[in-house]
Amino acid sequence: MVRKRSRTDIINDMLIAIVDKGGEIKPTHLMYKANLSHGLMQSYLEELVDKEMVKKIDRKTYTYLIITDKGCQFVEKFKEMKEFEKTFGL
Amino acid sequence: MVELVFSPEWFYGKDIFIDIFSIVIPVLIGLFCISYYRLSKNKDYIYLTSSFMLIAAAFLFKILTNITIYYDVFFTRTIGLVTYTFKTVKSSDALIIIGILLFRLLMILGFYVLYVTADKQNKDNTIKSWINQIFIIYLLAITVLLSQYNYLVFHITSLLLSMMITYKFYLVYRKNKSNTTGLIAISFGVIALSQLIFSFVKVNIGSYVIGEIVQLIGYVTLLVSFILVRKHGKKKKQDRYHK
Repeated sequence: MVRKRSRTDIINDMLIAIVDKGGEIKPTHLMYKANLSHGLMQSYLEELVDKEMVKKIDRKTYTYLIITDKGCQFVEKFKEMKEFEKTFGL
Repeated sequence: MVELVFSPEWFYGKDIFIDIFSIVIPVLIGLFCISYYRLSKNKDYIYLTSSFMLIAAAFLFKILTNITIYYDVFFTRTIGLVTYTFKTVKSSDALIIIGILLFRLLMILGFYVLYVTADKQNKDNTIKSWINQIFIIYLLAITVLLSQYNYLVFHITSLLLSMMITYKFYLVYRKNKSNTTGLIAISFGVIALSQLIFSFVKVNIGSYVIGEIVQLIGYVTLLVSFILVRKHGKKKKQDRYHK
């Protein structure tokens, strides 16, 4: 059975999706890439913006989401933590 | 009377430096576990932090006790057989006994918490499981008290616990085939070996020196595997960016 994603897993998936797109992504693409509903994505996005992990910028008629240094640091720390969990069998 | 294990005279103080190093490594790993807990809220990190901090605290008490013992030895030698000196030694006896028992208790508890954390099958939060844990901790405390009369009780218990931890990490290694997990299993194996060597300290006092060195190698191996975990995690991240 597939394990339910935790909050941290979802946040990491969102940030990874932005990184995979070269550091910036449109909100709709993020929703699909991170496998989230519109409502859920909005609530998580608000949190990410509040925590300064993601920045919103408007370009022409579109809104883009950009990962910040803090967001990159989170992704790095998360990878490190997953490696630690795998190594220690947690 | 507590059985005190003294190091050879030429090794006085040097073991303290080795033990300081043995404090730094668990503290470092413990601090990283706290930062991972903040990120994931996974309770296993709290248990890991507790176990490593207990081991570090154990070494701290060992150092403080050794400093007291060495101070007494030197003090008695320089002053001679003056009554005042005799009183000083006597008054610090209680401190030495408490220090040694705390070192043993914290070390055994640290190993046990680490074993329970590494043992996946033990992870249930039922009342029965908690009662079992409390009972085992009670038995370990009794074991430490018994070690007052024979130091072997402590070293054999530590040996068994560290061997059980080694086996648990070996099982994890067989599952994930990660070299770093293998290295962690080896590090605890070496720590177990050091406990075995310490057991022979009454037969040959040189065993204390060898035991300390082997123990240091064990903790350094643990540090190396921890550095590799961090390095490997970062490398994976760079691979993603270079896709």
